[in-house]
Amino acid sequence: MTVSLESLRTRQIDPTKPLLEVDDVVMHYKIKAGEVSAVDDVSFTVHQGEAVGLVGESGCGKTSVALSLLRLLPSNAEYISGEIRLDGENLLALSDEEMRARRWKDIAMVFQGAMNSWNPVYKVGDQIREVLDTHFRGMMSYDEQRHHMERLFGSVGLPGEMLDRYPHEFSGGMRQRAVIAMALACSPSLIIADEPTTALDVIVQDQILKELKRIQAEMGMSIIYISHDIAVIAEVTDSLGVMYAGKLVEYGPTSEVFARPRHPYAYLLLRSTPSITGPRRVLAPLEGEPCDLLRPPAGCRFNPRCPFATRRCTEEEPPLLDIGGGHKVACWNHEDVPALEEALQR
Amino acid sequence: MSINERTTKHEVSRATGDDLARELATRALADTPIWRIRLRLFRRSFARNWALFRDNKLGLVGLAMIAIFAVMAIIHPILMATVWDPAIYDPVVGYDSVAVEVTVVEEVTDPISEMEYQEARLRFGPLTSLGDTVTVRLQPAPPTLAGDYPHFLGTDPQGRDIFSQLLYSTRAAFLLGAVAALTTVLFATTVGAIAAYYGGWIDGGLMRFADLILLMPLLPLLIVLSAAFSINMVMLGLLIGVLNGFGGTAIVLKSQALAIKVKAYIDAARVAGGGDWHVIFRHIVPNVLPLTFLFMMFGVTEAIAIEATLSFFGLLNVPMTWGVMINTAQTQGYLLSGTDFWWLLFPAGLAVSFLAFAFFIVGRGMDEVINPRLRAR
Amino acid sequence: MIKFLLRRFIQMGILFVIFLSVIWLILQLMPGDVSDTLIGDPSIPLTARADLRARLGLDQPLHIQYFTYITNFFRGDLGVSFSRYPQEVSAILWNALPRTLYLFLTATLFAFWLGFKTGKLIAWGRGGKTEQGLIVGGVFLQTVFYPWFAIVMLWLFGFFLGWFPIGRFIDARLWQGAPFLANDVFELIVLTVVITGVLYGLMRLAIKRFATNPVVEHRLRQGAALVTVGGLLLYWYLSPMRTYAADIAHHTVLPVVTLGLVAFGATMLLTRSSMLETLGEDYILTARAKGLHDRAIRDRHAARNAMLPVTTSLVLALAFVIGGGIITETIFSWPGMGLIFLQAIGVNDLPLAIGALSITGVLALVGHLVADILYTVLDPRIRIS
Repeated sequence: MTVSLESLRTRQIDPTKPLLEVDDVVMHYKIKAGEVSAVDDVSFTVHQGEAVGLVGESGCGKTSVALSLLRLLPSNAEYISGEIRLDGENLLALSDEEMRARRWKDIAMVFQGAMNSWNPVYKVGDQIREVLDTHFRGMMSYDEQRHHMERLFGSVGLPGEMLDRYPHEFSGGMRQRAVIAMALACSPSLIIADEPTTALDVIVQDQILKELKRIQAEMGMSIIYISHDIAVIAEVTDSLGVMYAGKLVEYGPTSEVFARPRHPYAYLLLRSTPSITGPRRVLAPLEGEPCDLLRPPAGCRFNPRCPFATRRCTEEEPPLLDIGGGHKVACWNHEDVPALEEALQR
Repeated sequence: MSINERTTKHEVSRATGDDLARELATRALADTPIWRIRLRLFRRSFARNWALFRDNKLGLVGLAMIAIFAVMAIIHPILMATVWDPAIYDPVVGYDSVAVEVTVVEEVTDPISEMEYQEARLRFGPLTSLGDTVTVRLQPAPPTLAGDYPHFLGTDPQGRDIFSQLLYSTRAAFLLGAVAALTTVLFATTVGAIAAYYGGWIDGGLMRFADLILLMPLLPLLIVLSAAFSINMVMLGLLIGVLNGFGGTAIVLKSQALAIKVKAYIDAARVAGGGDWHVIFRHIVPNVLPLTFLFMMFGVTEAIAIEATLSFFGLLNVPMTWGVMINTAQTQGYLLSGTDFWWLLFPAGLAVSFLAFAFFIVGRGMDEVINPRLRAR
Repeated sequence: MIKFLLRRFIQMGILFVIFLSVIWLILQLMPGDVSDTLIGDPSIPLTARADLRARLGLDQPLHIQYFTYITNFFRGDLGVSFSRYPQEVSAILWNALPRTLYLFLTATLFAFWLGFKTGKLIAWGRGGKTEQGLIVGGVFLQTVFYPWFAIVMLWLFGFFLGWFPIGRFIDARLWQGAPFLANDVFELIVLTVVITGVLYGLMRLAIKRFATNPVVEHRLRQGAALVTVGGLLLYWYLSPMRTYAADIAHHTVLPVVTLGLVAFGATMLLTRSSMLETLGEDYILTARAKGLHDRAIRDRHAARNAMLPVTTSLVLALAFVIGGGIITETIFSWPGMGLIFLQAIGVNDLPLAIGALSITGVLALVGHLVADILYTVLDPRIRIS
C-alpha cells in the first residue's frame, strides 16, 4: 500500500462533531515533598476544525494539559482519573505502543522554543523523514518522501532545498515554519501549538500565526493553542479557556470570553496585557504569585489573590457552570464581576 | 559604599549575584544591615544546597568515609602519646619482633619436607625432632590482637606496625590532598577569571600556556622531577596544584567565568566604579566558587593517586605513606603474596582506593547540586 | 579547511619545539649523568669516565648540547641510548611503540565500546538497583589505586587461579629455537587486526548506505562482524605461527583486561552523565512526540549527541598512553614505551628518556588535532573556519 499525497491534504469536517473530549482529567506529579496537583478536574471539548486556546500564567498547568494529551508526561506524573477521548477512543486506556503509534499521526505538536526542538546534528529533512519512516513504514519510496517533504515545506513558504540544511542554518522564524511543516507531515487531525511564537519578534509572530490559521482552514484540522499571551491567541481561536493553578476557571467562545470575562482571574489577566485590536482599557498588573500547588488553598484556588473574594470563596470550591451560550465560569461571584469591575476602576 | 562593592564572597549558590540583587530589590526600603542579608542568603543557599546534596545517598556515604579517615588521622598522634610505645609503634623507625609458635614438619615424606626438617635442625639446634613446637621470631608477622604489643594489622617485613603506618599515612594523604586542591583552585580561579575578564592577548597567552601544560604528560613529568629533586609531600602537592591550576582546570573555569562576565551585575559593579581587581575577585571569583569546590574534590582524588603511584615506584622523599607501604611489600618480594600476606597489600591499597573513592563521590554529589540535569527525577 | 590545517600544523610545530625544550631542560636538572654508573666499579680507571663523557658529548656547555640535540632531533636522529649503547634511541622506541599502542588500543577501544553501551543503557532506564550498583562499581574502578589493582589482578588470575601467565610478553621456553622472531609475529598480529578493523569499518559504511530497513541493517552488521572476525581467526588458525601468536595473545589478555576495566568505569560514568544532559534537551521531547520508537530516540537522538564528550575523552586517552603505560607495563613486565621510559630515568639515560617523552608529545598533539576534527565531523554546528 502506498500513501497518496492527496489523502494527506484535506479532510471532511463536521464542526458539530467533537474531535477531542477532555473529561474530568486529574493529574498529579509525585515529588519528594508530596503530590503536586498540576491538572485538576479539567474538561473541555475540541470540535472538528475548531481552534481552541488555553491561557494562563506560567505554572498554571497548561503545558501539563498539552503533554497529557500526548501522554508525554515525565515518569513521576500520575493520572488520577478522567478520560481523554480522541474520536471517541480513550487515549489513557491505550497501551504504550498503541499510544506511540498515535503520536504525530493523529496529534502533532509544535513546541515552545522551536530553536531547541531540532536535533542539532541531523539535517532538517532527515528529521522529518524520520516521522514518515516511523508512521508510513514501507508505504512511501525515498523519492515520494522527498516529494512530500518538499510540498510540506512549500506549504509553509520554505524552499525545498532547505531540507538539506542543518537546524542552525535556519533563522528562528524559519525554524518554527519548519516545525509546522513537520507537524503537518502525517496530516494529523489535531495540532497542539505550545507557545508557538514565543521568542520570535512581533512581525514573525504574526506571520506564523496567520500561516497556522490558513493551513488549519485548508486542511481541516483542529488546533489547540497554548499561550500566556491572551491577546495573541484571541485572534486565532474560536474558543478560549483560562486556566489557573491546574484548574480551568473559564471557558467559552473567544469573542465572549475576551469581551466579557466573568472570572476575576481572567478579567485581571486581560487587564494586565495590552491589546492592539481589542477594546481600549487601563492596564493593571496582576498582583501576587501563582499558588503553591503542593498545598493549594481551600475553596477557590484564586481566593488569596482575588480582589472580590468573599467568605464562601475560601470555604467552597466553585464548580464550572454554564452561564449561557456555552460560556462557563467557575466563580461564586461571577454575576458581580462586571459591577465590581467598575468599583475597581474608580 | 555601593551595594555592589559589598557582595559576599562566601556564597555557595551559583546564582549568588542574582539572589542578592533580588533580595535587595524586595527590601530596598528596609534598613536591615547588609551583612545580615548576606548571612541570611548564605544560610539559605547553604540549606538549599545541602538539601539537594542529601538526596544523593552516595555523596553522604562519601562524607561518612572521609569522616572515618579524618578520625584515623586524628587518633594516630593521640595513640602515640598515650597507649603506643614509640619504640615499637613508630610508623617509620619502630620495631617489634613477634614470637610465633611453629610446628616442625610431622614426618619426612618428600625432598621438600626433608629440606624443611634439616633447616629447622640448623636453626634450632640438632636436638630438634619431628613434630616439635618451636618459637620463631618472624617478620612480617600476621595480625595479633592480644599480647604485650598487639598489632591489629600485623607488622611489615621490617617489624613495623602496619596499623600505625596506616593511621600515620592518612594524615599525610589529607595534607597532600588539601595542598594540591587548594593550590589548583587558587591558580585556576585566578587564571580563569583574569583570562575571561581581560580577554585579548592576556587570555590568548594564558590559554596557550594551558595548552602547553596539557601537552605535558603529568605522571612521566612528575617521575622526572621526583628523580631530579628530592620531593616531599608539600612540594608534591604544590607541583600537582600548579600544573593542574594552569592547565585543564583553568580552561574550564575560564569558560565558567565568561558566562558570569556577561551578567548584568558585573556591569553594575563596573558602572558603580569597581576597579578591575575588585570586579574579578569580589564578583567573578565568588561566583565560580561552586565549580571550584567540585574541582577541589576531584583534585584531591587525583593527588592521592599520583602520590601513591610515585611512592610505589620509590621516587618520593617521604618516610611513610600508603604508597611507601605497598612499595615496601613489593621491594621485599611480597608483590604476589595475595592472601598469604594480605596485611602487607590490602590495608594500604584499599586505603588509597577508598579515600580517593570518597572524595570522588562527594564531588559527584556536588556536581548534581550544581548541574540540575544530573539529579534523580 | 586546508588553511585551517596549515595553521594548526604551524601552531603544533611551535608548541612542540617549546615542549621539547622544556622537557630537555627539566631532564638536565637530574643530578649526575650516566658516567656516574662507572664510579661503583673499581676496575674502571678514572680516565674512562672522562672518556665516556667526552664521547657522549656530556663535556660540552649546555647550550651547545641543547642546539645539537634539537637540530639532530629534527633530522630524525634521536641519538644513541646511553644504557643500551650502541643501540639507537629511535630503533628502541620504534620497537616498543607498537607494543604499547597495541596494548592500549585494544584495551581502550574495547572499554570505550562497552562503557558507552552500558552508560547509555543505565542513563536511559534510570533509578534501578543495577544503575546504583554499576555507578558504585564504575566509581570504584575509576578511583582504585591502579598499581595495587593491577597487582591484585595479577595475583588473582595469574598466580592464584593460574589462568594467565604472570607478566612478560612471551613465554621464553616456548620461543626457544622458534623459527620466527617474536617481534615479527607481533607485528603481523597488529597488522592483521588493523586490516580486520578497517575492513569491518568499510563494510559498516557500505551497509549504512545500502540497507533499506533497520532490521536488515542490524543483521547485516552482525554478519559483517562474523565474517571479518571469523576471517581473522581462520587466517591465524592456518598460519604456521599459530602457537607463537597464541602465546603472545595469551600474554596480552591480563594487561588488556586490567587496563580495560579501569577505562570502562570512567567511560561508563562519563557516558551516563553526558546522556542525562542530552535527555533533558527539548529535541528529545520532540522525538518522543513524533512517535519514534524508544530505541530510535535512545540511539539516534540521545546517544548520538551524548557521544561528543566521550569521543574527545577517547582520543585524548589514546594520546596519553605512555603516561598510563608506565604503571601497566611495569607491573605486567610488558616491554613497551612506559617501561623503557622508567628504566631510562632510573639509569640517567637522557636521550632515551627525552625520546620517549617526545613521542608522548607528538601523540598528544595529534590527539588534540584528531579530537578537533572529529568534533567538526560529529557536530555540524562547529565549522572549521
